[in-house]
Amino acid sequence: METNTSYDPSFAREVFENVDSGEEIKMCMQCGMCAASCPLREHMDYPPRQIFSMIRAGKRDMVLNANSIMMCTSCYTCQVRCPRGIPVIDVMHGLAHYAISKGILTRKDTAVFGREFWQQIYKTGRIDEKDLSRRYFFADGIITGIKKSLQMARMGIIMLLHGRMKILPEKKIKGIKSLRSMLDKAMQTGKGGSEV
Amino acid sequence: MEKKAALYICTGCGIGDALDIDSLKELATDDLGVPICKDHPFLCGAEGVDLIKKDIQDEGVNTIIIAGCSGRVNYDVFNFGPDKIVERINLREQVAWCQPPKEEDTQMLAEDYLRMGCSKANDTEPLEPYIAEEEYSKDILIVGGGVAGMTAALEIAKAGRKAILVEKEDKLGGFLGKMKKLITMPYKDLSDTGAEDLIKEVNENDNIKVYTSATVAKISGSPGLFTAEISADGNSVQERVGSVIQATGWTPYDASKLNLGYGKIKDVITNVEMEEMAAKGKITRPSDGKEVKNVLFVQCAGSRDPEHLPYCSSYCCLASLKQAAYVKEQNPEAVNYIVYKDMRTVGQAEDFYRKAQEDGDVFIRGSIVNINENGGKLSVETDDELLGERVNIEEIDLVVLAVGMVPTSQPDQIPRIQAPEGTEGADEEGMIEVMPDSGFFAKSALNLEYRQGPELPTLKYGFPDSHFICFPYETRRTGIYTAGCVRRPMEVVKAKEDAAGAAMKAIQCCEASSQGVALHPRAGDISYPEFNMQRCTQCKRCTEECPFGAINEDEKGNPLPNPTRCRRCGVCMGACPERIISFKNYSVGMIGNMIKAIEVPEEDEEKPRVIAFVCENDAYPAIDMAAIKRMQWSPYVRFIPVRCLGSINLVWVADAMSKGIDGLLFLGCRHGDDYQCHFIKGSELAETRLGKVSETLDRLALEAERVKFLEIGITDYNRIPTIINEFMETIDELGPNPYKGW
Repeated sequence: METNTSYDPSFAREVFENVDSGEEIKMCMQCGMCAASCPLREHMDYPPRQIFSMIRAGKRDMVLNANSIMMCTSCYTCQVRCPRGIPVIDVMHGLAHYAISKGILTRKDTAVFGREFWQQIYKTGRIDEKDLSRRYFFADGIITGIKKSLQMARMGIIMLLHGRMKILPEKKIKGIKSLRSMLDKAMQTGKGGSEV
Repeated sequence: MEKKAALYICTGCGIGDALDIDSLKELATDDLGVPICKDHPFLCGAEGVDLIKKDIQDEGVNTIIIAGCSGRVNYDVFNFGPDKIVERINLREQVAWCQPPKEEDTQMLAEDYLRMGCSKANDTEPLEPYIAEEEYSKDILIVGGGVAGMTAALEIAKAGRKAILVEKEDKLGGFLGKMKKLITMPYKDLSDTGAEDLIKEVNENDNIKVYTSATVAKISGSPGLFTAEISADGNSVQERVGSVIQATGWTPYDASKLNLGYGKIKDVITNVEMEEMAAKGKITRPSDGKEVKNVLFVQCAGSRDPEHLPYCSSYCCLASLKQAAYVKEQNPEAVNYIVYKDMRTVGQAEDFYRKAQEDGDVFIRGSIVNINENGGKLSVETDDELLGERVNIEEIDLVVLAVGMVPTSQPDQIPRIQAPEGTEGADEEGMIEVMPDSGFFAKSALNLEYRQGPELPTLKYGFPDSHFICFPYETRRTGIYTAGCVRRPMEVVKAKEDAAGAAMKAIQCCEASSQGVALHPRAGDISYPEFNMQRCTQCKRCTEECPFGAINEDEKGNPLPNPTRCRRCGVCMGACPERIISFKNYSVGMIGNMIKAIEVPEEDEEKPRVIAFVCENDAYPAIDMAAIKRMQWSPYVRFIPVRCLGSINLVWVADAMSKGIDGLLFLGCRHGDDYQCHFIKGSELAETRLGKVSETLDRLALEAERVKFLEIGITDYNRIPTIINEFMETIDELGPNPYKGW
């Protein structure tokens, strides 16, 4: 134990006020069930439990720069198991969302993927696999885009053969307007959506 | 009383298939001289019981020997009134179910049990309860007027009895009276303590007599017949009571022993001081009298620490959560830091922990490194385990140490007594520290006139000894019960439950004593030990070894038995070298005759004989259970149930060995710190006594391995066959007892 830090409640207050479900982390009793349940735990800088602990201690930079908050795959294992009923997924996405809004992009491609995903949903109401991958792969420029596409070419062909991906562009769903108004509403309440 | 015996053999439950019943009946009538001998296929059914009842009426049978199931079952069916002697022979569990049917050895086993049972019935005399000449009192004395004491008094009063409440302070209430609020059902918010109402209710109840500023100067006598001398306001009052409840409570652990700045820094206080301050009004800093803003609570201050209090006091987490709520109530902007090892909110109180979290209290898991004072404010350095960092918390106004509970029975200093010369560990003056399980250890509260000391024997942390799970309120003094925090640390809700439990036990005690029957664990037993004083040699073993201090002593060292203090374990009977202590249905001679009744085959038959003395409380049911599971073991073992292994008299070893028995097994309860002995010290005493037997055996040129002591719990039934068969292997290796046929 080396660093001599002090508890600073200001960041906790910031999180409670600005992050989706932020106030729920008050209920965390630090049992570590979320950390033990997370399939991506070994790739994370800090497990969810520790993220919550750091928020309370006021470690703003460490929390917002942690890759953990952008790694959540929404598998919901932690949320199902949390003995205190904390919506861990919502908090993690909320934190990611908040970090991005503050211009912190620890995992840029995750952010890009999220943005493209949402935009497509908003546009057509469904995901066009080839269009989404194209946008995602080429976000960093043409050369990396070609490289990434070639890496995934085999997968693409197999998906085509099995009918999991269509050659023609996807059509809009029926009632796209209703979906959009729902998404708009969600956007307003601060839940969901990802804007870079 | 002229005895007329009758033997009834039940052939149900597989007994008839396993044994030759006719030859058993022949043995009984021809060799054992039992005048009436009948068998029935379903003896515990209405028809079977009627058969016995008819014989009682028509033939005048008064000694009924039933060979069938274990005596642990159907005892209610085979109850023919206190004037009839009933002896049960366990042919079902211990013969038919654990041995192969229709074998010669199985038949021999049944025959031996029949001989032993008839011999025992022959030696048993009808029982009469002990009723003292003096009048029995059914009032109950309660020492301590805190929440437990007051609740116990009210419970007793509600049951229509009289309670006498003795409180050393000038008013009732104890710690409850000093508290501001309470966390109780439904654990969502703080509620009133209710102390005022409780005190009022106690004071107004006609069945409760309250003595304040009073202490108990002396308690003499025995359950049902106690005389308590109470000194109240300088006067001495005498009260006759039937039983006693000690609810003297707790004191906070001395925080100045902790290295947390208490006593050096003014703004470091204990949770008790915090509670008193909150109850009086504003929570302020003792140093400058300003209202507090940031408060830090130190949990486990000295608790769960081998250097201080090794146990969890279970109330401190809740107390701190409650006091944190006081701080928030006073100033919603205040920040509470709670530094804990583990948050332990017992019972349903987890909800209150949630509330504290919702209120925004900061919980830090870790330990305190140091507390510093700078510029009027405090800064606390902690090792935050969850962050993995050392954290400095600054701008703290007040530090509250959540100290644990020390029972009032724990002495301030361990008392010392004069030890016999040459005792190990004695100082220059020959003084030695008193052991906690001695009656001379605990701090003065009851002042009993007992030969074994004035107070309740305690366990390792200074709490009066009781069995946590099986019999929590019982102490090692019959008729004296503990309730509340003197028994174990607990919070108010639990203390009330505890008080009700102890009150119920105390009422039972008054009833049972006046009827002359035993209390727990041989509840309802009307036998009691009788002393043949002409042959007493004043050796004091019985007065010393009785686990319940039942026997007092006169100046010459003669034992003065107190039958209502007695729990009928027979430890005194086992201790007496002169064998002058006996019960009407259990005596040294009786078991000796049972041993003699066993038929020992000649050496060349190669059928060894082993006797197992079995504790009735745990080992005997374990054997029954093993038989119910149809486990099998050597047919050469005969079980003799004993009330407690502490009642075994060493003369039985000599009796058995001289008769040619090849080995002796003693199966008793676990002893030591986590003892399971129903009579606390019985099995331990037995092992000590048996340790001395080996010298005697050596002198007789017999191997010490022929006598073996084993600890058996009731859950160890699956080990029974292994234990017995392994012992039989040892006996086979040693060869037959050379005294066979002498």
